[in-house]
Amino acid sequence: MVVNNNIDKLAEDLEKQELEAPSGITTPQVYEQLLAIYLYQNDLCNAKYLWKRIPESVKTSTPELKNIWTVGQCMWKRDFSGIYKALNEVTWSDTVVDIMKQVQESIRNRAVDLISQAYSSITIDTVCAMTGLTPDICIPACVEKGWSFEADTNMIHPVRQVVEPAGQTSSEDQLYKLTDFVSFLEN
Amino acid sequence: MASALEQFVNTVRTLSSHGNFRELCEYLSKSTEILVKNTQHLDNVLETLDIQQHSLGILAVLCAKFTAPSTANNAHDNRFTQTQEFILNCNGEHIRFAPDTFAELCHLLTNYLVEQRQPLKGIYLLEKAISKLRLFDSQLTSIHADLCQLCILAKCFKPALKLLDIDITGICQEQSYNPNGPQFDAKYFLLYYYYGGKVYLAVRNLERALYFFEVAITTPAHAVSHIMLEAYKKYILVSLLLHGKVLPVPKYASQVVSRFIKPLSQPYHDLATAFTSNSSSELNAVLVRHTEVFTRDHNMGLVKQVSSVLYKKNIQRLTKTFLTLSLSDVASRVGLSSPTEAESHILQMIETQQIFATINQKDGMVIFRDEPEKFSGPEVLKGLEEQLQLCMDLDKQILSMDEEIQVNPQYVKKSAGFQEEEQPSKSTYAM
Amino acid sequence: MPLFVANTMAQNAVEPMQVDAPPEDNDNNEEENYVVENPSLDLEVYANSYSGLAKLYRLIYIIDHCPSLRLEALKMAISYVMTTYNVNLYQVLHQKLAEVTAALNVPDVAAPSTSQDIPAIDNLWMETRSKKAALKLEKLDNDLKNYKSNSIKESIRRGHDDLGDHYLDCGDLSNALKCYSRARDYCTSGKHVVNMCLNVIKVSVYLQNWSHVLSYVSKAESTPDFCETQAKDSNQIIMTKLKCAAGLAELATKKYKSAAKHFLQANLDHCDFPELLSPNNVAMYGGLCALATFDRHELQKNVIFSSSFKLFLELEPQLRDIIFKFYESKYAQCLKLLDEIKDNLLLDMYIAPHITTLYMQIRNRALIQYFSPYLSADMHKMAEAFNRTVPALEDELMQLILEGQIQARIDSHNKILFAKDVDQRSTTFEKSLLIGKEYQRRTRMLILRAAVLKNKIHVKVSRVLFIKPIEVLN
Repeated sequence: MVVNNNIDKLAEDLEKQELEAPSGITTPQVYEQLLAIYLYQNDLCNAKYLWKRIPESVKTSTPELKNIWTVGQCMWKRDFSGIYKALNEVTWSDTVVDIMKQVQESIRNRAVDLISQAYSSITIDTVCAMTGLTPDICIPACVEKGWSFEADTNMIHPVRQVVEPAGQTSSEDQLYKLTDFVSFLEN
Repeated sequence: MASALEQFVNTVRTLSSHGNFRELCEYLSKSTEILVKNTQHLDNVLETLDIQQHSLGILAVLCAKFTAPSTANNAHDNRFTQTQEFILNCNGEHIRFAPDTFAELCHLLTNYLVEQRQPLKGIYLLEKAISKLRLFDSQLTSIHADLCQLCILAKCFKPALKLLDIDITGICQEQSYNPNGPQFDAKYFLLYYYYGGKVYLAVRNLERALYFFEVAITTPAHAVSHIMLEAYKKYILVSLLLHGKVLPVPKYASQVVSRFIKPLSQPYHDLATAFTSNSSSELNAVLVRHTEVFTRDHNMGLVKQVSSVLYKKNIQRLTKTFLTLSLSDVASRVGLSSPTEAESHILQMIETQQIFATINQKDGMVIFRDEPEKFSGPEVLKGLEEQLQLCMDLDKQILSMDEEIQVNPQYVKKSAGFQEEEQPSKSTYAM
Repeated sequence: MPLFVANTMAQNAVEPMQVDAPPEDNDNNEEENYVVENPSLDLEVYANSYSGLAKLYRLIYIIDHCPSLRLEALKMAISYVMTTYNVNLYQVLHQKLAEVTAALNVPDVAAPSTSQDIPAIDNLWMETRSKKAALKLEKLDNDLKNYKSNSIKESIRRGHDDLGDHYLDCGDLSNALKCYSRARDYCTSGKHVVNMCLNVIKVSVYLQNWSHVLSYVSKAESTPDFCETQAKDSNQIIMTKLKCAAGLAELATKKYKSAAKHFLQANLDHCDFPELLSPNNVAMYGGLCALATFDRHELQKNVIFSSSFKLFLELEPQLRDIIFKFYESKYAQCLKLLDEIKDNLLLDMYIAPHITTLYMQIRNRALIQYFSPYLSADMHKMAEAFNRTVPALEDELMQLILEGQIQARIDSHNKILFAKDVDQRSTTFEKSLLIGKEYQRRTRMLILRAAVLKNKIHVKVSRVLFIKPIEVLN
């Protein structure tokens, strides 16, 4: 949660920097971080438009921008293996390395959630592709999650997770609101 | 000539210091010609005026600088920096005496940035300008449309969304010296709702986009506006994307819509008919037949989305009828080329919670599930409370508007007069 | 189709005909181009059930849709048309005959020819017949003028009727309609009014002006004398005629349920209306419409246990079997029998355009009834019961589920149909949230609109019209 808040705040800050840049063009670092953060937030729309509005000159001088966007493109196409390939075949600079790590983590988490929601049986190959892990890491990880593995068919049987409801309001607060509603309805 | 400008400066100073802003505005509206004629000296004039005390004077000078034709290719073009400084530091109370001129300056700045191909630079300035001009957050100014335009051109939507997300409840009466009473140019109103719709489309908020296009096409009209026509075409497309059919245009839309705009949008109606038939091949036939029109209207992207949504709609229909189905059956029933393609569509729909299903790769089957118990637990209560609160707030707003009308002297006079003279009088508030 | 005939006649007519009301749009045109291969129809018996234009129109319909009966029907029609003054139709039929014989490659008429070249056509007959018709017309016209100068109401009325009869004999429908309608002003009793209505109804049916038919049926039914003396035999005949005409009009306008109700009120002992339809038609039209639209209870009460309609069903034993099999839930047999009579029905000009729809509705009703008592049903068994393959059944069921006619879902893997339990609580939640959202949307729009009107925002004829918004995003 803390990381999350920090990143959101950083994003706001970067957006402001871009808008207030006197020439309308801000530093490559700002563009890089902002693009990476949009990917982390899974906000592909804004990532796409940011990529479109970055001036050509900046793109040429900072090739890493293109590398970040390659990840975004794969995300757009839901090409999981492409995403992990794009994430891991380059060494990220200090500007974005932390964010890109989190990008990978959040994508993997979403993939695992999706598998557990969408499949009752799935080949190990698909699981590996969606998580970007090799079978020897993947299988134990699955078993650890309580998903059974059928060796002869190479099938994983995921267990669907129940999404935990969060948050509880105080009963006093609720009573207050309820009074409000009733008085509204009666008038 | 110089003396004319000197006199201008003196008048501005005197009237400003006496607080005679109305008189000043009148004077300024008459002196445009003098200012435009003496463009080369205007920078000197600016130096003699104080940005806080003589905001109205500077406003007039800046407008003149943008209007004058000669400076266009000047290397020492300082118009942007001057306007920037002015917008950031001017006196809000003063400029609200001349809202039309202030808005005009923003329009001029917008055009200037569009021509310079630097739309991004103006975004935060216009944000500032809007906050200086409007009296409350939900008041619409004509600068709103400019900001949306710049955001679209710069492909930077977040600043526009900050404005667009606020529902408009009042409109700034900009042309306060208009002989027909205070007015707001319909052009900027239409543009705001059209551009707004486009912004929402860009960020995939279809519900809001539809709302904005609907406002645009229900604007009172005696004539066909291009903006309304384009809005209508997008209204059809978004309506298909969101609801799978074309929602009827509200009855209070002006006749222009049914009489002229609908016949002008025939290809879009064809598309809608094909869409509602649920047949992908029919839809593609229409798409091919009218490709030229769709491309010319810059709607091809949306049209393609419509055609991909049809697959999703058909999958959703399957979930209503089937408990289990093989992936190849899904593909053939929906008109997709392979089971793999069907799987990826289904996967995507599961992720976005459009359907509830489980894929069994072992047998190549899909099991469609009912929606999980989603109406239980405290967060449902919280959601309900929020919705109720929103409805209640709106209701209160309507009540207070009603009260306002009830005590409006004009209304009282008219309704009383109506009873006495039995003369039909037009009510301004009629829907 | 009669419409076609009417058009041809309109072209050949001496004076342009003014039709009182334009014929209604028949949107079942797509049904017209088909061919029936194997009818089991006895043409002779069939044709003998009708008289006048009804016979001719029905024969023409068969000519247009059934190659195997074409020649026989043509001969029959030509010989019948020669008993009338309908010279135009005679010509039309000969043209058709020429086409048929040309297609059959009969050597002596090999060349595509105009009507004069065909030996079978009797030009002399046409000439004398036309002359006779003209003479008769002149005489009737003169008679009418005489009656008018003498102001004898009853004679004038009869004069109009006679003139109408003659026009009808010549195939001039719109003039016939005019004459019959004019008789209205000279009616002196309820009986006359009803008679006038029947004449108008007859011609309107030929013209396929169904709204006209219905309005004159209700006019006749509300005539005072007629209502009071309903018990009499002659009134029973008229009553049945009116019900049949109304049923026909409802059928033609696809209101199958009310068509069924009308036909079911017909009385066999008094069913004599060869100018329009036969008792067999009443049985068939009424039975099929009832089967397609009645629920089980209605079917039992109004059809199976109806003493009067039972008699009609005896005329069409196949139909009777169909209805009983349906009622006994023996759907496979019922549907098989339906298929057997389909070819003959497709040669009936009034029911043919509706066969597809009616059959589908009957099937659907059967499917719904079949599943209604079950929580789950084996689709293999169901397919057997309905004479269908499992995939075809699946498609049918899918359609019914989507239309909300069956509350169920299909397990395509195990081929089982499961009844769906609707979660009332969830749907209620969903609905109320939706309504709340809708309320918010509309209210926001209302507030905005109030502001718009208050500020007199209005698109006027001005420069606004020519401003095109920028288009950069797509």
